[in-house]
Amino acid sequence: MKTKNLRTIIAAVVFGAMAFGLVAGVSTGTLSGFGWDTIAALCPLGALGTMIATKTMIPRAVISLVIMAALVLLVGRAFCAWLCPTTLIYRIRDYFRSPKKRKALAEQKNSEIKAISQQELEGLHAAMGKGAGAKGDAEGGHACGVCGKCQPVKHGKLDSRHGVLAGALLSTAVFGFPVFCLVCPVGLTFATVLVLWRAFSAGDATIGIILIPAMLIIEIVFLRKWCTRFCPLSALMNLVGRFSRTFVPVINDEKCLETAKGASCSKCAEVCEFDINLRHPDFGELTTADCTRCRACVDACPTKAITMPLFAPAKKGTVEVLEPTLEDLEPKLD
Amino acid sequence: MEEEKKEVAVDAAAAPAAENAAAGVEGTEGAEPKRAERGGISRRGLFIGVGSTVALLGLGSLRYAGHNPLNRPPGGTDEAHLVSGCIRCERCYEACPRKVIVPAKIEDGLLGMRSPMLDFNTGNYCDFCYEENGGNPQCVAVCPTDALELPAAYTVGNPETGETGDVIIGIAEIDPRTCLAYRMTGCRDCFDACKYGAIELKDEGGANPIPYVVEDRCNGCGACQAACLSLSSGSIKSTERAIVVRPIEA
Repeated sequence: MKTKNLRTIIAAVVFGAMAFGLVAGVSTGTLSGFGWDTIAALCPLGALGTMIATKTMIPRAVISLVIMAALVLLVGRAFCAWLCPTTLIYRIRDYFRSPKKRKALAEQKNSEIKAISQQELEGLHAAMGKGAGAKGDAEGGHACGVCGKCQPVKHGKLDSRHGVLAGALLSTAVFGFPVFCLVCPVGLTFATVLVLWRAFSAGDATIGIILIPAMLIIEIVFLRKWCTRFCPLSALMNLVGRFSRTFVPVINDEKCLETAKGASCSKCAEVCEFDINLRHPDFGELTTADCTRCRACVDACPTKAITMPLFAPAKKGTVEVLEPTLEDLEPKLD
Repeated sequence: MEEEKKEVAVDAAAAPAAENAAAGVEGTEGAEPKRAERGGISRRGLFIGVGSTVALLGLGSLRYAGHNPLNRPPGGTDEAHLVSGCIRCERCYEACPRKVIVPAKIEDGLLGMRSPMLDFNTGNYCDFCYEENGGNPQCVAVCPTDALELPAAYTVGNPETGETGDVIIGIAEIDPRTCLAYRMTGCRDCFDACKYGAIELKDEGGANPIPYVVEDRCNGCGACQAACLSLSSGSIKSTERAIVVRPIEA
């Protein structure tokens, strides 16, 4: 089975079970605070928000934050691809797109990615044509520093999401309540379930029946690329995910069409739902710091060159991943 | 909130234009694909970041708009603390064995939207989990952010001994204009429902006993409101029952 289908099923089953629990009163919580009885794994942003707002250390919130940080360190933003209902809504939206639109979008993305790949390959050939073998590495046989492959991957430092995160926390500190929780798409999804259920079961008519789903749709449809550009949760996970070294996808250059055959492919970049370009990292909007371990690139690779090993194998001195320093975390505005 | 959302949407719509503009300025490479910029925030990023911050600050200012007073679950009567702590995780709704905790509606104010409130019109009431959990309210126990919080030592209303307890949700109030007893129907359902002796009857034993609330014995459990049938009997034009629990306003 394709991992994409598996992901959809897992996210749908988890969402369905929690939504059922919500209306049937099975005390398992929602994704905002999953747990049983007095145990709860809290949403890390909610945990931060509530502690900032009440200016107190809340034991359950601190424990949740530590657990979440450990999980993100292990599997990055896996939550986004495997559990988040927002991704599920995107899937539904894709499903209802006309075949024409779907084809047009796919072609557009394909040509974009292909252009990047071709440009990089041309640069590579040009460098090889000059016979510059001086800095060439034995394996690829080309000059380093020309293509993205041999350059160190610099994880994006801070982007617009971190601005949203900072704004959310600032507003929470100023006004003393977890502001983002009011508009969080994960919370709104469950709120939609609850408000609809109450409308039918208890005849509870409220504007919320329209307003809650409307807010959700505005966020997901009108704020383009919510997950990549807006979501403060994704920003928070990025801050920890950039230190993750486990299950990160790696390309075997001996198998990859681009490095082994010099053919333009970049299928991995084309299928990535989270705007990462694994082959040419410099051209992706995000880097593997935001990898959701969704395995789309592993599935799509025509030569099965991509794997997700527990630990990335030691590089042969060519590609090294730079450890971000504290300085890197400082926002730098141009 | 709609407006603020739109504001962000506008920013998002403006962003591609800004991106193009930025590309135009740097456009030395012509039509070649742009290398993603690292180590700095792009103009679009700045737009989104600043726009969202403004929107979220606007949303935060709802704090001053406030909302209608609501009956909160046990431990939630410190309104400011509840609003600060609640992340709308919905665990208290699930935990409530009597299903009287419901999400507050938008109509009562955007700030309180989806925060927990007690709805006694469901026909059930809050017994502080005396029956279900020995007087240890489940909603307070499951609240992961301590938004619902009781002091270290407290006693809840005891329906067996009739003790009021010191956890007070609100105080019941009778509206003589809609109360059936005031229409000489002999209705005394609220009196029968109250386990704490907080409702007494004028002219008890007479032909027309009329209930009144003894405020210092009422803990706002809502049994009277749950039992009140003013809305279902008699064609009285009103939107609420004749006896309702009102939150204590600080």
